Parts: sequence; structure tokens; C-alpha cells
Amino acid sequence: MLQKSRKITFILAIISAIIGVMLTVQLRSSLDPVHKESRSIAELRASLQKELEKHKNLLADISKYNQLYYQYETALSEDESLSVMKEELARNRKMGGMVAVEGPGIILNIVDQVYDEHVMDEHVPVPVIGGYTIDDEDLRWLVNILFANGAQAVSINGHRLIATTAIRNVGDVIQIDTRTVQPPYELKALGEPEVLLSALKLEGVEEYFQLSNKHVIAEKQDNLMIPANTEERRIRFMKTVKEKGDS
Amino acid sequence: MWLPLIGLIVGLVVGFLLDWRVPQEYSSYLSIALLAGLDTIFGGIRSFLERTFNVRIFLSGFFFNTLFAAGLAFIGGFLGIDLYLAAIVAFGVRLFNNLAVIRRIVLSRWINQEE
Repeated sequence: MLQKSRKITFILAIISAIIGVMLTVQLRSSLDPVHKESRSIAELRASLQKELEKHKNLLADISKYNQLYYQYETALSEDESLSVMKEELARNRKMGGMVAVEGPGIILNIVDQVYDEHVMDEHVPVPVIGGYTIDDEDLRWLVNILFANGAQAVSINGHRLIATTAIRNVGDVIQIDTRTVQPPYELKALGEPEVLLSALKLEGVEEYFQLSNKHVIAEKQDNLMIPANTEERRIRFMKTVKEKGDS
Repeated sequence: MWLPLIGLIVGLVVGFLLDWRVPQEYSSYLSIALLAGLDTIFGGIRSFLERTFNVRIFLSGFFFNTLFAAGLAFIGGFLGIDLYLAAIVAFGVRLFNNLAVIRRIVLSRWINQEE
């Protein structure tokens, strides 16, 4: 009888141990539930937008503090003001696209869609390769996506884009400023490769160009060289205002 | 008699050390299984006090109740019927019934002792 009751208590102990484990697991999972990635593309887009905004604000902060830093620099060393001015000039030339720059970035190649002859059967109409062309609008859209997502410098077929660059259709060809570019187009963009690639994916660039039988090949590059803008620029319509008395 | 309590504490400690976490969509099944287990435990205590305790009934009740409760809730999820609500109500009612009976038995024994 004693042995039997001992057996019973042993079984009870095992059962209560199981209950204890279940209790703690339940407690744990109700206190801090496992987070699973179940956000929709809209939510992801919204949070990406928020992060981009934050990024932009931070960039603005950086440029503000850089400016302050330059001001202090000039104030501190009056004799070195020439070198500071030179530095500033170099920086502006870089920002303005007058010198070649290099860094991490991506290369986009827009090429004709290649169709496998063997896959085709006669029921499927053969698409007219090269029958659809890319307009200036498409290139502008692409460039805007790149710039909006932090690209520092962009070139199309070796033409560096600057603030006043125009991309437009002239007849059947696309002109960038005054030079014509011919397909296949190759875009180079300096910036965070991951951010640029995911932005392209999010905007549906691949699908968009597929509609006109073009294939976009994106490629990450650790060290990308973007040439300077070689367009000749003249200041014709603006003059600095001369203030009387001052300086 | 203290062995079950020690077992409970050991179970709690093991549960904390294991650090298992159930995904949220399955946590309702675990909670139902837990409720069924608790119900069986209280049923066992009650039958023990009524001197009708049987290990086999207790053991089979524990495992079958927990598994069936969770399984029925799972199937209900597939069929679109909230069967887990039925399980919660059934086990909840039984749990409180058992508790009431246990309380009455303990109270009557205490009163008997005083007299």
C-alpha cells in the first residue's frame, strides 16, 4: 500500500512538472510574444518613407554642421582663409559635378529583353524586339528615383548629371543637355548600393521596363567612377549685386 | 506528499531555463491544453479527497484532455468554428465545480474536527 501511494505521488510530481513547464511557456509567450514579419508592402513603404525622412534630416544636419565648421575654421585662421576658400571651392566643384568622383554605387544596364528561341512555340506571338523605345520620361523617372534615395552622383552613358541637366526627346533620340545618347543605356549612381537597389525594387522599375521589352540589370559596385560633367557652362544672365558702402 | 509541489517548482524552473516561446497564433492551443491540465489536476485532488482516486483514470484524463482540447481547438480553427471557446467554457465550469467540491470537503472535515 505504501509503495503504491509513493508511486502515485511520483506520477503526480511528474504531472505537476509538466504543468509547470506549460505554465512558464504560456507566461513567456503571452508576456513577450514572438514577433513575426507580417507587415504588408504598404506598411513597409510607410516605414521606409519615415526612415528616409529621418535620413534626409540627418543629412541636412550634417551639412549644417559642416557649414558651421567651415565658418569656425575661417574665423579661427584668418591667414589660412585662402586655403579654406580653396577647400570650399573644391567641395562645391565636387557637388556641382565638375570633377570626377568615385565610391560605392550601382550600375544599371537597360538592355533589350532576350527571348529564348527554344521556349517559344507558334501560339505565342513573337514580341517585337526593339519595337518599343525608352522615352526621356522613363529616364527622368529612373534618375529621380536614384536621386530621391540618396544617390550623390548619377551618369547616363558617361554623361554626368548636374543640377541643370535636361533629359529630353529630340526627334527619335534622347538628348542629355546637348549630347545624344543611344541605347543600350548605362546608368551609374553613387550612393548606398543596398538602399538604391531596394528603392528600385520598391518602385517597380523592373516591371515597368519589362512592359517595353527592356531588361534592367542592376549591379553593385564597391568602387565606381563617375566622370565629371564636361558641358561648357557660362554665366550669362546673372550678375552679382554690388552693395554700396559694404566691404 | 510534498513531492508534487517540488515537481511543480522543478517544472517552473525548467520552463524558465528552457526559454521556449510559442508563436502567437499557437498560444491559444497551449492555453487550452494548460486549462485542461489544471482541470485534471483539480479533478484528481477532488477524487483523492473523496477517496475515489485512480491513477489510471487520472493519467489518461490528463493526457487525453490536454491533447483533445488542443486538437479540437486546432480542428475548429480549420473549420471556422470557435471550438476553443467551448473547451474554455467546459473546462472552466468543471474547474470551478471541482474547486467548490474541494472547498466543501475541506470545510466539512475541519468542522468535524472541531466538533
